[in-house]
Amino acid sequence: MSIAAETAPRGQPRRGRRIDGWRWGGRIFLVFMLLYTALPMVWMLSTSIKSGFAAMQFPPQLWPDQPTLAAYQKLLDPQNSVGQDFLRFFWNSLIVSTATTVLSVIVAVPAAYAFSRFRFPGRNFLFFAVLLRNMFPAVIFLVPLFILMRAIGLVNTHGSLVLTYLTFGLPLAIWLLKGFYDNIPVQLEQAARIDGATRFQAFVLIVMPLSTPGIIATAIYSFIGAWNEYIYAYTFLSKNEQLTLPVGIQRFFSENTTDFPGLMAASFMMSVPVVVLFLLLQRYFVRALTEGAVKH
Amino acid sequence: MAHVVLKDLVKTYGSFKAVNEVSLTVNDGEFVALVGPSGCGKTTTLNLVAGLTSVTSGDIFIGDQVVNDLDPKDRDIAMVFQNYALYPQKSVYMNLAFPLQMRKLRKDEIDRKVKDAARVLDMTHLLERKPRELSGGQQQRVALGRALVRDPAVFLMDEPLSNLDAKLRVQMRSEIKRFHQDLKATIIYVTHDQLEAVTMADKMAVMNGGYLQQYDTPAQVFAHPVNMFVASFVGSPAMSLIPLEASTANGNTVLTSAEGWSLALSPRNMRKVESASTRKIVLGARHSTIKLHKSAVPGSVPAKAYTVEPTGDVTFVQAFLSGAIVNISVSPDVAVKPDEQIWLEFDQERVHLFDSETEMALKAE
Repeated sequence: MSIAAETAPRGQPRRGRRIDGWRWGGRIFLVFMLLYTALPMVWMLSTSIKSGFAAMQFPPQLWPDQPTLAAYQKLLDPQNSVGQDFLRFFWNSLIVSTATTVLSVIVAVPAAYAFSRFRFPGRNFLFFAVLLRNMFPAVIFLVPLFILMRAIGLVNTHGSLVLTYLTFGLPLAIWLLKGFYDNIPVQLEQAARIDGATRFQAFVLIVMPLSTPGIIATAIYSFIGAWNEYIYAYTFLSKNEQLTLPVGIQRFFSENTTDFPGLMAASFMMSVPVVVLFLLLQRYFVRALTEGAVKH
Repeated sequence: MAHVVLKDLVKTYGSFKAVNEVSLTVNDGEFVALVGPSGCGKTTTLNLVAGLTSVTSGDIFIGDQVVNDLDPKDRDIAMVFQNYALYPQKSVYMNLAFPLQMRKLRKDEIDRKVKDAARVLDMTHLLERKPRELSGGQQQRVALGRALVRDPAVFLMDEPLSNLDAKLRVQMRSEIKRFHQDLKATIIYVTHDQLEAVTMADKMAVMNGGYLQQYDTPAQVFAHPVNMFVASFVGSPAMSLIPLEASTANGNTVLTSAEGWSLALSPRNMRKVESASTRKIVLGARHSTIKLHKSAVPGSVPAKAYTVEPTGDVTFVQAFLSGAIVNISVSPDVAVKPDEQIWLEFDQERVHLFDSETEMALKAE
C-alpha cells in the first residue's frame, strides 16, 4: 500500500482519494486485528478478578463491580491443594523450559559456528537434514516419539519433553545463529589467534560476545516454545505431579464445574514469564531477526 | 626481529594450486612486498606464514625454527588485516591490550606498553573510543598499534591501505615506511598495487597464478623484468608490448612490423634476438624511454596518436603501433592531437625484448 502511495503521480485527486480509501481500509483492518488479539486477554484479566458468580453472570460485566484477587490468592497459596498443584505445575514448566533453553543454546552455538566456519564432508547435507524435521507438522511425530520414549524408558519423565522440544527448537536456533556467525568477519578470529588466543579462546572471547543478541533470541525462542507446548506434554506425561502448566491448567480446572476466575488467573500467570522475558530482551530479539537483512 | 624463509612452499585446494613451489628469503629487518593481481596466491602465502592456513608441502622458517605445525599464537608474528579486524566490542585501549593480555603480562606493564604505542601512533586521545567511532585512517592506526604493541618477530600486512581513500593512502604509505625504518622490523606486506610495493619495499616478490615470478629490489624488477607478466605489471602506465618479427639480412637482424616498417637493433639487442627460439619477438618499452617526434627522424617508426591525456606535469599519449597500444610520456608543451601521425624513437639501451612463446626476457649471452 505504501509503495502504491509513493509511486502514484502527484496532482491527481481521483487517484489520491482511492489510495486514501485503501489506507483507511488498512487502518480499520489493523484496529480489528488489534481488538481480535487484545480483547481475549482483556477478558482473561477481567474474568480473573471476578467472583465465581460474577463470571457466570449474563449479560456479562466487562469490568466487575467487586474486583477480587481471591483466585490469585488461592492459586498462590501453598496450604491449599489447588495452590499446591498450580505451583507444582508452574515449577515443572519452569524446569522443562529452562532445561530446554540451556541445552538448546549449548548445542546450537557450537553447531551454528561449525556450520558457518568449517568446511567438512557432508556439511550441506547435515545442514538441510537439520531442517528436515521442520518440514512436517509436529503431530506427525507424536506417536513415533511416544513409542521411542517408551522404548528408552523416558515416558513420564521431564527428560522426554526436553528432548522433544530440542528437536523442534534447535533447527531454527542453528539457522538463526549461523546467520549471525556468517556476518562476523573471520578476520576477527584470525586476528585473535595471531594475538595469542587459541581457537577456542578466539571463539569465547571475541566471537561469542558479538553473537549475544543471536544467543538471546535463540534462548527466548526455545523458552517460549517449550513453555507453551501442549500436545506432547499431554501425551508423554500422565502422573499428576509431573504435569506442565498448559496441561495442568486444562486438566485441573475442567473436571466438574469449571472455576473460570481460577482458570483465567492461572492463564494470566502462565503468560507472565514469557511477556516479561520478551519485554526485557525484545531489542535483542528484533536485532537478531533482522540481522543480515541489511549489509553493514 | 627475525628472518623468514619459505622453501618450496605449496598450497593446494583440491586440484587447485593456490601457491606453487614458492621459495624466498626475507632477511632480518627487511620490508618485502608480495605483489600480484588478485588470485595470484599472495594472500594465501601470507596466511601460510601466519599459520591461518595449513601448508600442503614445503617449509616455513621464522628465525631458525620450522613453524609449519605451530599455531598462529606461537609464531611470534603480528598481522594487520585489510579490514583492520579491530574487536568491535572493545575500546581502542582494550584492542591494543588484548595481545598482551593473551600473553599474560602484568597489568602495569600492559598499561605502559599500550600507552607507549598510543603515543608513537599519536592516538592517546582515542584510547577510550570504540572502533566504530573512528575514521578509516584512525582504525588503520589502531590496527597498526595492535601489531606493534607486542614487538613481534615478524609483521604481516594484508593490503592494509586498500580500504583508505587515495589521499590517506599516500600519507599512510609514508607512515608505514617510516615505521619500518624506525623499528628495523621484518615486514611481509601483501598488495595488489605495484606502486605501494615499489615505493615502500626493500624487495618485491611478484606473483602470478600461484608462481613466484621475480624476487628482487624494486629497482631491479623495474629495470630488468624477467618476463612479460612482470614487465607489464610493474610500472604505471604499463610497459608497452609490441609484437614484431625478427628478420636477418646481410648479417644484420632487425625487427619488422606487419605495417611494413622495420626497427634496427643495437649489437647487444641483436644478440638477444638471435638467442631466441622463435622469430616472433615482443618489444617492450616504458613510456619514459620512448621519444615522440612530429616528423620522421632516423631510427624512428611511424605511429598514430590515439588519446592524449594531460596530467599537468607530463602528458601521456597513447598511440597505435603495429596493432599494439603504446604509452608515451611527453612534456606538456608538446602539442599532439588524436589521430595525428607521429614518429616514435626507442632507446636501444632501455628497451626490453621477449620471446613471444616463452614470454621470458631475452638475454645477451
